[in-house]
Amino acid sequence: MPKCTIDGRQVEFQPGENLIEVAKKAGIEIPYFCYHPGLSIVAQCRMCTVEIEKNPKLQTACSTPAADGMVVLTNSEKAKKNQRSVMEFLLVNHPLDCPICDKAGECDLQDNSYKFGDAYMRTSEDRRTYMDLDMGPVIKKNMNRCIHCTRCIRFGAEVAGIREMVAIQRGNNTEITTIDGRPLETEYAGNYSDICPTGSLTLKGFRFKKRAWFLKKTATVCEGCSRGCNMEVQQEGNVIYRCIPRENKEINQWWMCDEGRFNYRYTMEKTRVTDPRVSTTDKGLAPCDWSSAISAARNLVQGKKTLILAGSDLTQEEIALLQAFAKQALGSAEIRHFGTPGVKTAQDDAAADKLLKRKSKTANLHGVERLGVQAFDGNTNGAQALLVVRGGRAVLPSLAHLGVTTVIGAGVYQASETKGFSAILPGAAFTEKDGTIVNFQGKEQKIRRAVLPPGKSKTLSEILALWTHQGQQPSTSSRTATTTATVTGGAV
Amino acid sequence: MIDQSQNQKMISANDGASFGVGSSGETLYVQHFKNDEARFLGYYLEKLQGYSALKYAFGMTPAAVVDEMKKSNLRGRGGAGFPTGIKWGFINDKTPFPRYLVCNADESEPGTFKDRDIMRYTPHLLIEGMVIGGFAISANVGYIYIRGEYTREAKLLQEAIDEAYEKGYLGKNILGSGFDFDLTVHRGAGAYICGEETGLLNSLEGKRGEPRVKPPFPAQAGAFGKPTIVNNVETLANVPFIVNRGGDWFSKLGRLERSGGTRLISVSGHVKKPGVYEIPAGSMTVRQIIYDLCGGLLNDRKLKAVIPGGSSAPVLTADEIDVIYDIDPLMKINSMLGSAALMVVSDEYCVVKLIHRITKFYAHESCGQCTPCREGCHWMESIIERILHGKGREQDLALLSDIADNIGGKTLCALGDAAAGPVASFVKKFKPDFEAYIRGGKHA
Repeated sequence: MPKCTIDGRQVEFQPGENLIEVAKKAGIEIPYFCYHPGLSIVAQCRMCTVEIEKNPKLQTACSTPAADGMVVLTNSEKAKKNQRSVMEFLLVNHPLDCPICDKAGECDLQDNSYKFGDAYMRTSEDRRTYMDLDMGPVIKKNMNRCIHCTRCIRFGAEVAGIREMVAIQRGNNTEITTIDGRPLETEYAGNYSDICPTGSLTLKGFRFKKRAWFLKKTATVCEGCSRGCNMEVQQEGNVIYRCIPRENKEINQWWMCDEGRFNYRYTMEKTRVTDPRVSTTDKGLAPCDWSSAISAARNLVQGKKTLILAGSDLTQEEIALLQAFAKQALGSAEIRHFGTPGVKTAQDDAAADKLLKRKSKTANLHGVERLGVQAFDGNTNGAQALLVVRGGRAVLPSLAHLGVTTVIGAGVYQASETKGFSAILPGAAFTEKDGTIVNFQGKEQKIRRAVLPPGKSKTLSEILALWTHQGQQPSTSSRTATTTATVTGGAV
Repeated sequence: MIDQSQNQKMISANDGASFGVGSSGETLYVQHFKNDEARFLGYYLEKLQGYSALKYAFGMTPAAVVDEMKKSNLRGRGGAGFPTGIKWGFINDKTPFPRYLVCNADESEPGTFKDRDIMRYTPHLLIEGMVIGGFAISANVGYIYIRGEYTREAKLLQEAIDEAYEKGYLGKNILGSGFDFDLTVHRGAGAYICGEETGLLNSLEGKRGEPRVKPPFPAQAGAFGKPTIVNNVETLANVPFIVNRGGDWFSKLGRLERSGGTRLISVSGHVKKPGVYEIPAGSMTVRQIIYDLCGGLLNDRKLKAVIPGGSSAPVLTADEIDVIYDIDPLMKINSMLGSAALMVVSDEYCVVKLIHRITKFYAHESCGQCTPCREGCHWMESIIERILHGKGREQDLALLSDIADNIGGKTLCALGDAAAGPVASFVKKFKPDFEAYIRGGKHA
């Protein structure tokens, strides 16, 4: 492999790699704002300029491919002076509102200012200000903070496939805005906030909610569709504040859609059923404790032919458990999967747009089929009781006309979804459990617990263990091996 | 190096010439300027052996035309002074098709108005030059990107193009050669930055007029992402002369090595006879141009400053004008020839106000893409404005120089240098004028 020298260190590189990426490999940081590995290169922030031997002018590292034998200095006096000067230029007009800015703590401008900027400002001129603009429900724009890196413009045009962000005016008055000030239309708008190197584009749902440095981060996978975008759940005090994508070049690159990004919200809805409930004649579904709920559930299926409907949002481990449970506790009840209306089997799954979204709105459709579970085709085969198990994302099939009066729900349900249910055993959502899912490419990925299940909710393994063993003498096997209730949702 | 006798001859020859048009030695253009008949095809065919060079070129190979251009030592007349033959040579057998030839008629550098006269009076020179250029680089489509403010010139140019189409000098199978060439006039919308070649190409494509990152250079990926050569109007208008009379002849017109031909210069400011002049490249000093060609300063005032190459060129003081007016000599004294637009400033005028106006222009015309130019140009303008209003501080001059240093050479395109060079040179060379505002509280 060809080699170049950066700050005296020999670094191997793949032909075509730019100096920023090559330096990263050697642990050398070249600061930048406008560069993003997933976007075209415009070399306009000028922060990444480095000195290259035999070249009288400083060169931007983002637009310079490494060459064999190239000698690069990222920290020469000339390079450092330019870093200081670019920082100074950027701060000439940037408001000093870090204390009330949501980006503070994870802001490229702030970080680079500390690392590469000067502690003193030489400007006494008034700062440039703009009128603010409403950009729809996802993104809040604060143009005063903008440093004109144009990442958002390029993201829209090159990745999201919609030219909605533009630069208007020019020079010092350049404004980054939407065409005619219209609201954002893309279904990938949250990424605008991720790639913004300052607090210019922030998530409306996250503003003023939590300082970035308090957030505990858990690397996990989105359950929004069969792609399984890699993401990070950020929580504090068992409350999820946001989800952001993680880089995975083979699956989602750097991006995720808004549907997946905000999908976690259902797990924190007030209407979510978080205590066991059993149907009573006078009050309908009424809360009760776990032991009476489990007893009631057992009694409900006692002596009846039972069919298990499993959401394709369940993990591989959960499906395997269910299969064992069906054999041992329900007289070899059959299991059928459900998930997305119109997407019965993995064959029906296809790309839903040009970027990431898949037709299957559950994450583990392909995994569930791999375990031999067949799709639910509306035929109950004479079952007298239904056990409906789901993670929370799978869309419930219409149960009313099946003619089965005994329906037990296990998993995550909103109160409005439980009409006609005989009992509810509240379970854990995808942010509250560990497990494996298989995406449409056949890639197995881990989802990880970020927060604890709310209220009295339990993971499926605990619920099934209770069902199987409740009332028996306590033994070492009172909890199944995959139970993870004791794992706390810590940072990964 | 300078032929004094010829200069003398020139002055006498200039006596009878129309106002603002002068020459020294053999001239190619100015005798046709101010003549309203010159723009028509009939005049061009009769007086300028019109389209004979084209016929001649069709008898040559494209490579031979490029070689002739290399021999001519023609250096680009737009501002950078890049050798035209070498530029055309970037397009070779391996270059993919289609290729484009683009004429930069944006002429946006303040003080420059020579291309306007070419398009007004000898548009067919440009058209013929472009067809030959297209033939040399095997491009079948040419664009003339003309400055938006040149409404009249765009119309005249279009009329000339229509004439050429009618007579078969443009279009399919030109003069039976089998070579096709279509020429389109594209009007700009009035942005300085669209005179920068990649900004021009973006604008031509209908995009925002912003310069592109180089590399790739236009010869690799230019208009519509295809190999493109961008040349100035005067550069292309010289091509028929070179093909007709040979590169060696053209090269010898110039008086310096590496700079052939004659040079159209735009003189403006406080001189008695401003206008477009034509001189053999490198044949005169700045002093000779001001005092001999242009009749000296208006009202016989004292000379204060000269901006030699359009407003982006670092300024010269009255002591520095004995420099030969061409690319290399000016570069040696840290200024530049640029687009050969000489702006003369008498001692009546305040240089601080002048640099304020220049800086305001560049701040206004900055495209806003790259940080140093977007932020720095406006910052410099604000500081100079503050100084003008009697609120300057002692440290402001050092600050201005440092900002200029932080912009110069660090921006995406040359606009940053264009803004930084003048500020740095004015502050350095006219420090007392600034200090008068700062210390004496002189107000604008």
